[in-house]
Amino acid sequence: MSIFEYNGSAVVAMVGKNCFAIASDRRLGVNLQTIATDFQRIHKIHPKLYIGLSGLATDVQTLSQKLAFRHKLYVLREERDMRPETFASLVSALLYEKRFGPYLCMPVIAGLGDDNVPFICTMDCLGAKELAKDFVVSGTASESLYGACESMFKADMEPDELFETISQALLASVDRDCLSGWGGHVLLVTPTEVHEKTLKGRMD
Amino acid sequence: MSTPEVGVPRKGGFNFDLCRRNEMLFSKGIKPPSFLKTGTTIVGLVFKDGVVLGADTRATEGPIVADKNCEKIHYMAPNIYCCGAGTAADTEAVTDMISSQLQMHRYATGRESRVVTSLTLLKSHLFSYQGHVSAALVLGGVDVTGPHLHTIYPHGSTDTLPYATMGSGSLAAMAVFESKYKEGLTREEGIELVAEAICSGIFNDLGSGSNVDVCVITKGKTEYLRSHQLPNPRTYVSSKGYTFSKGLTEVLSTKITPLKQKQADTVPEGGDFMEE
Amino acid sequence: MEDMNLNAPHSMGTTIIGVTYAGGVILGADSRTSTGMYVANRASDKITQLDDNIYLCRSGSAADTQIISDYVRYFLHQHTIQQGQPATVKVASNLIRLLSYQNKSMLQAGMIVGGWDKHEGGQIYSIPLGGTILKQPFAIGGSGSSYLYGFFDQAWKEEMTKEEAESLVVKAVSLAIARDGASGGVVRTVTINADGVTRKFYPGDSLPLWHDEVVAHNSFLDILAGSSSPEPMST
Repeated sequence: MSIFEYNGSAVVAMVGKNCFAIASDRRLGVNLQTIATDFQRIHKIHPKLYIGLSGLATDVQTLSQKLAFRHKLYVLREERDMRPETFASLVSALLYEKRFGPYLCMPVIAGLGDDNVPFICTMDCLGAKELAKDFVVSGTASESLYGACESMFKADMEPDELFETISQALLASVDRDCLSGWGGHVLLVTPTEVHEKTLKGRMD
Repeated sequence: MSTPEVGVPRKGGFNFDLCRRNEMLFSKGIKPPSFLKTGTTIVGLVFKDGVVLGADTRATEGPIVADKNCEKIHYMAPNIYCCGAGTAADTEAVTDMISSQLQMHRYATGRESRVVTSLTLLKSHLFSYQGHVSAALVLGGVDVTGPHLHTIYPHGSTDTLPYATMGSGSLAAMAVFESKYKEGLTREEGIELVAEAICSGIFNDLGSGSNVDVCVITKGKTEYLRSHQLPNPRTYVSSKGYTFSKGLTEVLSTKITPLKQKQADTVPEGGDFMEE
Repeated sequence: MEDMNLNAPHSMGTTIIGVTYAGGVILGADSRTSTGMYVANRASDKITQLDDNIYLCRSGSAADTQIISDYVRYFLHQHTIQQGQPATVKVASNLIRLLSYQNKSMLQAGMIVGGWDKHEGGQIYSIPLGGTILKQPFAIGGSGSSYLYGFFDQAWKEEMTKEEAESLVVKAVSLAIARDGASGGVVRTVTINADGVTRKFYPGDSLPLWHDEVVAHNSFLDILAGSSSPEPMST
């Protein structure tokens, strides 16, 4: 069994027109036993920047705390929020520092930059950045998510449609993965509002 | 090991804190993670008045295509570029690190960077990690001593060649070079041969795919031709795509938080504004 | 692909030779560098310059021997500046021995040093795997050398002329290339004596044919040279 399959996870982010959405499942398992159905994998860095962490839950929490701390230090020093690109470089550097004993989680970063240009990116657990213009996926359901997003994604979606698309892609994908599911958690970020929604999903 | 002040940014270098824990996990039969690899075709050749570098754009994670259009030709200096194959994080980190050292060196000396300088910096870094930093590189550039092309292996050995290939598609690409390369190619012939070698990798090696990136470096001029060729356009998307009607997904709870608009150069509300 | 072991460290399954003759030394090597089953470089130069009149034949891990020669070249430059005169072959060889011996657990390097100095004339030092140093009238090394011991016992003579020694080296490397799969490509030689250094290059198709070998047809070199086989190049 791969270490990424120990807790199970599914994280996805999509870009729309001047907006983005990031979604994850809510299951926390230990192998095939479900421990919790309200696990948070998406963490707020600031209102327009989020990081979803798939993989080993212990490292997900450690890393998210470290990142929140580093962002607070940045805000104290710079008196402004981090740009998504800067934050991605920070995450990458933090992960690569542990090249020979890595954090066992893979991040998905999504944010709105200056002029509300959406930015999404994912990495492997060593911090190799993968920038994409459309969608990024991560977790045990990543293979199904690739397929679902590849067919469902359209460029320049409005927020409402983006929400439906990312939700359907997530729910469709986790149905084909034993290790993730139990509903979903979606964050839809537009220049003016953040919509935080909980999705109903299968409970098996 | 870790600094006394918790989490304070470190000066640099690797951190081995999690090695023992991970080793324990892996010894219990849990498989170690697979990393993002660039199962790649990267090539380079020397032509009449410069160097051409080429790369495919597929990144893989095991059998999965993780990125269909990634960049494998990395910036080292304005006159030097470097193609990377192997673990993506390593090629990215190692080229970034050395390119910043070169920039510092240029600030100190006020001269254009030389290809041998980057070669030596890269090889000594890779050698000191004894092959554990798995970056296989094709380094090319033009400096005051003329055009240069080198290959660098993860263990830190280097070769100097008129034409070079690396990565899982290197055999396919080398077959093209071995049959068609000659000395004194023109710029156009060089680009064409590089593109042909990359295509040979794209179509014959499963680890390589998607598009052809090319970088042409001549004296005083560098051209990065991103997506020089697109031999694999998307064929399966329907023009309409899927449409989901609003409210289709069952939602359990919704929380809407309005975002504060950026208030540039305004007096903070309610507070006394202090002049400096 | 797995079987071909493309990710193996870059190593030189090699034939390297150093021979003394009346008045100097000749170093010889093939030009094949392989990663597992793949020939990573078919025209590599395994005879590296350390100082004006001292050269090094490298075998084993390419990375290790390159680093060693880089260090020794640097040390010799310093030494030359400090002493105000060129380093001797003995000094160069002992520096290599020191690095080989002190880091023997980390290194995979078998080397032959050849050079000329005004004190002792032409000298060959062999520094095999563990960091031993051996001053020898001739030395052979690399995977191809196992095919050459008997040949050298029979063919090597003291006080050969330069021409005799040179043809012996080329003949020996071509014999090893014919029998050893890890050696191949061209033959490179370096001749060092009181007059200086001469490098020579013998293309693969100009080498003598041995038992059961066939003439190369339409080889890449033929096409380039317009079918007439090229003369040995010298610099």
